[in-house]
Amino acid sequence: MTQNDQNLSAPISCADFQERLPDLFASGSNGVPDDLTLQHHLDTCENCANLVRDLQYIADQARMLLEPAEEEPSPGVWANIQSKLSAELAIPELPLTPKLQTD
Amino acid sequence: MTLQAVPIAPSGPAPSLFKRNPPIAGEAEAIESAKAGDAEAFSKLYALHKRRVYTLCLRMLGNVSEAEDMTQEAFLHLFRKIGSFRGESAFSTWLHRLTVNLVLMQLRKKGLQLVSLEETISPTDEDSPKRDFGSRDPQLTGSVDRVTLERAVAALPPGYRMVFVLHDVEGYEHNEIATMLECSTGNSKSQLHKARLKLRELLRQNGQSSQPAVLKEAAQ
Repeated sequence: MTQNDQNLSAPISCADFQERLPDLFASGSNGVPDDLTLQHHLDTCENCANLVRDLQYIADQARMLLEPAEEEPSPGVWANIQSKLSAELAIPELPLTPKLQTD
Repeated sequence: MTLQAVPIAPSGPAPSLFKRNPPIAGEAEAIESAKAGDAEAFSKLYALHKRRVYTLCLRMLGNVSEAEDMTQEAFLHLFRKIGSFRGESAFSTWLHRLTVNLVLMQLRKKGLQLVSLEETISPTDEDSPKRDFGSRDPQLTGSVDRVTLERAVAALPPGYRMVFVLHDVEGYEHNEIATMLECSTGNSKSQLHKARLKLRELLRQNGQSSQPAVLKEAAQ
């Protein structure tokens, strides 16, 4: 029996493994377990390995959304802001259109 | 229940937020001029940040009309309070937090104040992601572009979407989200996990169907 085998407790089910996933991802390890029992399950269960890879992929791809989308608010939004600010702050001449067109 | 106030200037370091908010040319001058009531400076700040603020509102609210209203409120609030901006964090970080706070306040006004957010942000059983203990489906890796992911996020139940956007897109930590949403850190972790599971489900359906599931759900 190897040292690793000795450290392994009883095998866990997919349900038990997946129950631990929220904490596993939140720990900063991005789904990679320190626990040998969890790691053993991950190494031997194709289904859970695929699940972890997909969840890692989704978390990675989410960063694509950090940059603002192409859409921008309609011109009416600035018009309303302009109108309200002019009244509230006694600013007489806010520009009719915002000065820049891009972020 | 009232919204837990989150300091606009972060009390501790927020590396992910700072990293992605480098100084913008001309922004510092525009801020100082806006503090002095310069109308041109207001318009410049709006032009610099309108897409970012609008995108955040749209992702959190999932509705164009509400997102435009909230963008308007965020900038009005910004211009009213700009005198209190001390430059302790990046301006965009400050504006971002201000916007998140306003959106959350708006959501509470719409009905979340009477019951615990821990309950209300949980979707129905029908919306919950299915458990996955035995299937042998293809992986997603390499198959999802930005537009597809954006649509899938839009199709998430509101509670899942909020936590996913705040954590995975915007880079907030679970403890920050828990404070903002008045829920436990464990609940934030759990909601995020369910959001990712639901996204996986939507994206896999999208890959297998001629009519993308994310489009069908987004239309509902």
